[in-house]
Amino acid sequence: MTSRAPALEATLSLRLRRGGERFDIDAELSLEQGVLVLFGPSGAGKSLTIQALAGLVRPTAGSIRVGGEVLYDGAGGVEVPAHRRRIGYVPQHHSLFPFCDVAANVAFGLPRRERTRDNPRVEELLQELGIHQLAAAHPGSLSGGERQRVALARALAVRPRLLLLDEPFAAIDQQGRIELRRILRQTLANHDMPAVVVTHDPEEALTLGDQLVLFDRGRTVRSGEPASLLRRGQTVTISGELETERATTADGRTTVRLREVSLEAPEELLEPGPDGRVVLRLQAPRDES
Amino acid sequence: MNPADTFPIALSLRVATIALLLVAPVGIALAWIQSKYRYPFRGLVDALILLPLVLPPSVVGYLLVVVLGRQGWVGSWLDRAFDLRLVFTPAAAVIASSIVALPLLVKTAQPVFEGIPRELEDVGRSLGLSPWALFFRISLPVAWRGVVAGLVLAFARGIGEFGATLMFAGNIPGRTNTMPLEIFAAYQLGDDRRALIYVTVLIAFSGLVVWAASRLAPRGVRT
Repeated sequence: MTSRAPALEATLSLRLRRGGERFDIDAELSLEQGVLVLFGPSGAGKSLTIQALAGLVRPTAGSIRVGGEVLYDGAGGVEVPAHRRRIGYVPQHHSLFPFCDVAANVAFGLPRRERTRDNPRVEELLQELGIHQLAAAHPGSLSGGERQRVALARALAVRPRLLLLDEPFAAIDQQGRIELRRILRQTLANHDMPAVVVTHDPEEALTLGDQLVLFDRGRTVRSGEPASLLRRGQTVTISGELETERATTADGRTTVRLREVSLEAPEELLEPGPDGRVVLRLQAPRDES
Repeated sequence: MNPADTFPIALSLRVATIALLLVAPVGIALAWIQSKYRYPFRGLVDALILLPLVLPPSVVGYLLVVVLGRQGWVGSWLDRAFDLRLVFTPAAAVIASSIVALPLLVKTAQPVFEGIPRELEDVGRSLGLSPWALFFRISLPVAWRGVVAGLVLAFARGIGEFGATLMFAGNIPGRTNTMPLEIFAAYQLGDDRRALIYVTVLIAFSGLVVWAASRLAPRGVRT
């Protein structure tokens, strides 16, 4: 087994104004590999935190290390500019360049010579994400889910070290979400690509995250495995296809496997829902403390 | 038409074109900087850009003479150092046109740059684009309609410039008599036929500009 530097280690302080609102953010993030979910209510500072990781906003203090390389160190005076960080970024809205078609969007970040329509890398990514037939389509004609797939392909095309996704499912209907979630998990795994996903939706947090960081009022209050952080009381419907029957582990916990996620919890928390869905009774720790 | 009749038309086109070539890079850069950056005295820079639009052209002309005239602060130095005299030359007409055209370009292009969703440039940076590449590969392609509309309006303002040109470049037949000056001169001499030539040309030109500007009105962008 080769030992790799952790995908992300960051300690950040951000004090800034955005749209007349004051943000005071203190975040601690770490991810060995896989997907880290930043979870918390809207306005908690999650989006600004990933923008700081990408170098799009400047932290007040702290440090950012990606794959072992220091990208920002407030005390040491290190600040690698955004365009040299090799960190992919998929924003919530306005993600595609309106003046070029899907294939050109995907090829946008490639060096000039490789920016051709028949670049095999572009074709492969379009195939992989199931949008090959849309290569010549213009962004204005795409659905929300299709746009996010294009944005994902474009970010992956330049082979980033880390991918940041800001509420990637915000503008997508329920059916599209399930599909896109599956594609996202699969694609990240195929590319062995560590990712940070911002969401305020517990279902997304549970189905996507290997690790979860809880945000509350600008602070990271807890981190760990998603299921251990979202506790009883709150009802979360995980919409997914059931792959296995319920089983009980040696220590008496119940496990259920969906196509996209494996859940393990005390039995009373996992209830069968309608249409082969599973209902989890969970509670955000915020109500607990 | 004899050469004396066509000279003002050719001169006006030449003056306005050179003025546009001077104003375009400066104006587009100013519009972009003012839309993107917050810095001390940004408001003052905004006001200075706008000034030639609100000042009476005669005041602009007067100020140009004060600064660039033979006795002017800069003009006397140019005269001494380079033996360069600008007053009453076609170059003076170009400078006058440029000064009054600049605010129209900046004020048309700036809101279009401001309207570009921040996310597009953020994505560009994450894809490895340098600030230069961001401007040429994202900002300009998104905002080109507004920029071209600003260039069209600036050109129209430049070709129609009268007051500042009269004061700074004078009305010297065969040298600085642009169409607007020629209309004024012909009217004073009671030469309606001559005035009508340039009135017609300028009206036709203005109609074309209004049509072009309306075709270039910014459209909604779906990203």
